[in-house]
Amino acid sequence: MSEEKLIELAKTGDRDALRDLVKKYEKTLYSFAFKICRNREKAENVMQETFLSMLKSLKGFDGNSKLSTWLYRISVNHCLMSARKAKKDMFVEPDDDEELFSERHAADWSTIPYKSVENQELREILDRSIAKLAPEYRIVFTLRDVQQLSTEETAGITGLSVPAVKSRLHRARAFLRNEISKEFQR
Amino acid sequence: MKFENVQCKDVMVYICENLKEDIDSERCRAIRHHIETCGSCSDYSASIECIINWYRDYDPGFSEQLHTNLLKKLDLE
Repeated sequence: MSEEKLIELAKTGDRDALRDLVKKYEKTLYSFAFKICRNREKAENVMQETFLSMLKSLKGFDGNSKLSTWLYRISVNHCLMSARKAKKDMFVEPDDDEELFSERHAADWSTIPYKSVENQELREILDRSIAKLAPEYRIVFTLRDVQQLSTEETAGITGLSVPAVKSRLHRARAFLRNEISKEFQR
Repeated sequence: MKFENVQCKDVMVYICENLKEDIDSERCRAIRHHIETCGSCSDYSASIECIINWYRDYDPGFSEQLHTNLLKKLDLE
């Protein structure tokens, strides 16, 4: 059955259609929420709240955007609400371009085993680096690079302008890369 | 942006466009040309792709229990 038909049935309260929509998006939304929240309990909560919002507002879904885009938008809001409860000093906002693009971060990557993500040390460093990145930046990085949405879709979901998405994305990437360089230079 | 004018710092700033965005723009062609001929930037570009690929492949898993909890929460059991 097409997604349009499923949505149409779900809007009438058809439980099978609602279950099918949940089944279709639950893994994607959980994985997305986990990559933003970095905590299984919070990710489960965000996923549940996202689908609760879907049940409540599906009748108002006009189909002008894809259902997945609409669900990501709801999920982003729940992720940000969850992040606001966390201590602000847990995260770094990479907004200092001079620091981010400083020549001193131009490490010799030939000495860093970045080609092998099987390398346990590198995986742990990547994990810690992403955890430090402020959620607003992690959201853009995850939507754009990990979920591979377009810049325009990412802008639509986050409510940012296209230039702001690009700016946050390249800052997030530079921040992560610099964090990894710093760890390997220790 | 002319080919010969691209500096390593430009690559770091505009890598966003180079990785699958606006790939036919003059600026991206210039950036690509620079990356192909600069070892440091080639490593930089590869390192960014490595980070992206790692997080893309990062799978937190999804248990049957999560599915059951969700249907219960939504009253769709």
